[in-house]
Amino acid sequence: MSKPAVMRRMQEIAHVDVNCFYASAERVFNPALEGRPLVVLSNNDGCAVTRSPEAKKLGVPMGEPWFKLRPRAKEWGLVALSSNYELYGDISARVMELLGRYSAWLEVYSIDEAFLGVKGEPDELLALGRTIKAACRRHVGVPVCVGIAPTKTLAKLCNKWAKNNPAFDGVCRWESVPVDQREALMAKLSVIEIWGVATRLTKRLNAMGIFSILDLTRANPVAIRDKFSIVMMRTVLELQGTPCIPMEEERIGRDQLIFSRSFSTPITTTAGLRQVMSVYAQMASARLAKHDLQAKVLTAFAATSHFNPNEKSFPSVCVALPMPTADPLLLTRAAHALLPQVHEGVKYVRAGIMVTDLRPTGNQKPLELFENPHEERGIGMLLEEISKRYGRGAIGLGHAGIKGGPDWTMKRDMLSPRYTTHWDELPLVKAA
Amino acid sequence: MGVIVGPRVIDAGLSLVKVLLAPVAVAAGYPSPAQDYFDGRIDLNEHLIKDVTSTFIVRVTGQSMEQAGISDGDELIVNRGLEPKDGSVVVAVLDGELTIKRLRITAHGVILQADNPDFPDIKVPALSDLTIWGVATRCLHYV
Repeated sequence: MSKPAVMRRMQEIAHVDVNCFYASAERVFNPALEGRPLVVLSNNDGCAVTRSPEAKKLGVPMGEPWFKLRPRAKEWGLVALSSNYELYGDISARVMELLGRYSAWLEVYSIDEAFLGVKGEPDELLALGRTIKAACRRHVGVPVCVGIAPTKTLAKLCNKWAKNNPAFDGVCRWESVPVDQREALMAKLSVIEIWGVATRLTKRLNAMGIFSILDLTRANPVAIRDKFSIVMMRTVLELQGTPCIPMEEERIGRDQLIFSRSFSTPITTTAGLRQVMSVYAQMASARLAKHDLQAKVLTAFAATSHFNPNEKSFPSVCVALPMPTADPLLLTRAAHALLPQVHEGVKYVRAGIMVTDLRPTGNQKPLELFENPHEERGIGMLLEEISKRYGRGAIGLGHAGIKGGPDWTMKRDMLSPRYTTHWDELPLVKAA
Repeated sequence: MGVIVGPRVIDAGLSLVKVLLAPVAVAAGYPSPAQDYFDGRIDLNEHLIKDVTSTFIVRVTGQSMEQAGISDGDELIVNRGLEPKDGSVVVAVLDGELTIKRLRITAHGVILQADNPDFPDIKVPALSDLTIWGVATRCLHYV
């Protein structure tokens, strides 16, 4: 008996994301954390931003402040860790490199998720999903789930099913699920669960009789566009199987870099914020230089705590740079444009800068008149080199160089070792 | 609301004396006979690490692998992507800890062997009962 001659080669989209990414990254090097309730805390050990399934089972809500969890942690056996950004960044890069082996068409969507364009017969696609899942577990050590579908929105939905329904065993392909089963699953999920629908729109959708994802799938896309927006119409069309959200191939060269932190103790002086701005600007400069990028726009901001309604202050400034640049002096000066808006004595708990409108260095040489002497001399790279050898804070331009200023570094009291990026903090293996 | 910053910022107290540098080495006298043969220095990463994505470096504590040339304090290059075989030196997960042993796959089961007679072997019924974290490929030993 020969197979039918028609081969159904499909072009589909796989959505891969790491389960409880921060917690899983920690478990790679500390297997004792496997099976234990674990939370990873946000900047300054503020709130739980990642919860292991065991922590979820305990009823720890997303975003719960650590000071509320701490008193019961012992009784629960709950482990809390500070965010280990060095570790998560490296593990993320490894996962993305690995995914790149399965498709030349990779869009890194966030630190822990990516879309891949995939091709093959239906059975091959499902098998590819399983291969990707096994490879991430084996090569990098993290568990992932995979959703495969004709559109990005459906691929994300399938991934959610793969995560929440043990029957799928971590891999779900839209077309491989019988229609009635798909509809039953979609009827169970509220519209808010779908990618691209904002919380604030659910009430208006509900008013139209659209409650579940199945209701939204059955809606008229044109009517949805008229009542909402083209964005919502795309979501409906994608749910119906028409691809509308194209793959973006190079998100890594994304159009922005953000440096934003909360402070361990609030900053109340202009001088303190000037130092913070200087340091961020120089970090941005080094990062831009490393990726051969220049920025056209810099945004600087600071903010008081949302829990402090008495002294609300959210200064922000957007500076158009005179030319695309990665020069630390220009960026520092631009970031300092925030300072006139800062109120002396007010408690600022957060600040940051963002550089946007990035472009590759040297595509177009500026006129000599506008050439920047500091850039030519590579001061940004030099500062970075020195910091690498002698540590952050060893050198800095102007105000960033002052030591013993306000304590604005992050509090990370429960930080695990930076296993993969620092020689002194390598994981230990026992020979006993 | 954009604030325009001037095109030149020269307020850091630096004097701006331009020193012109030649973009390439300037030959002075006899050209080096070696220059045509230079195609880069030896890169240890290239030789020691076959797959950067699945390779990790770990540090050893303890003496149980001394006969294998692995001493306390040495660093190991571990590839998670390699298939563990009989005789491989592996990092295994034992009681929630990463442990370095030699893997023996025999007809009677799997043994995690210490390469030092002072340390006991550990018997495991089957390979599937064991979590192998990675396979060690090189030892960086201080001499």
